[in-house]
Amino acid sequence: MAPGAEVAVDLSVSRRLQEPAGAGATDVVERIVRHRLADRVLHWLTAICVLTLLGTAFLPILGLDFSWVTIHWLTGGVLIIVVVFHALRALLFQSVSSMWIGKADIKDAVALARWSLRRDERPPPKPGKYSFAQKLIHHLFTLVVLTAMGTGALMLTKIDSPWWRSNPYWLSDGTWGVIYVLHDLAALLLITMVMTHIYFALRPEKLFFTRSMLLGWITRKEYGAHHDPARWRVPE
Amino acid sequence: MHVVRVSQDAYGQEVLQGLSWDLLWVFFGAGIAVIVIHALYRWLLAPKSP
Repeated sequence: MAPGAEVAVDLSVSRRLQEPAGAGATDVVERIVRHRLADRVLHWLTAICVLTLLGTAFLPILGLDFSWVTIHWLTGGVLIIVVVFHALRALLFQSVSSMWIGKADIKDAVALARWSLRRDERPPPKPGKYSFAQKLIHHLFTLVVLTAMGTGALMLTKIDSPWWRSNPYWLSDGTWGVIYVLHDLAALLLITMVMTHIYFALRPEKLFFTRSMLLGWITRKEYGAHHDPARWRVPE
Repeated sequence: MHVVRVSQDAYGQEVLQGLSWDLLWVFFGAGIAVIVIHALYRWLLAPKSP
């Protein structure tokens, strides 16, 4: 292992026979599992929750009047369960280092910036399982979603539910004001972040990432073209 | 354009109610700007990927 290199070992490599490439020939394409089923389900549940929360938050403001409060807080409850499940799964059963931003990622980002600005003709190094940009957007989403979740959970004390009665005087008006501002800021940031996340997911050169979030796998060829095998090791 | 929403409590003091919804278009516009600038950069200026 190269010093400082982040290595995520994913043992789940599947092999699948495709149609013969020519007469008498058999083309074997290896599919490397990038996202397991549980992670894909968690990703898309999170996406559905966030889009539902944004819709129930902002559509009434834009003039589409409907009874949004119950849908909003119930969806927020589901999102809290999904995020807690993902955090526990990531911390206990997955390689946290594959998502950690280390020195190698900072060097990658600098090399990418220099190459993009034509200050250096050498192409940037290939990343491990996740690029610097992917790690950065994950951490930004983590920060913003946790802020929205935490403040939203506090705001649940202001509504009646089958399980508790509202108590609007639990905190001072000034404290509630700060909570509202943080909740609103997180919601507004999510608009920009979701838009750009979807844009990058639909870019032609990124579509194989999107397919892997839908179906789970990338091909051996895509693995070799976009990842450094020393930083994301998969079985031969 | 306002940055925050405020109301008055029973004693006439201003109470913070959150960020102004005028900012909705600022954040939506920021998303559009990132997308357009990146797409134009990739189309016109970016070095060809290795």
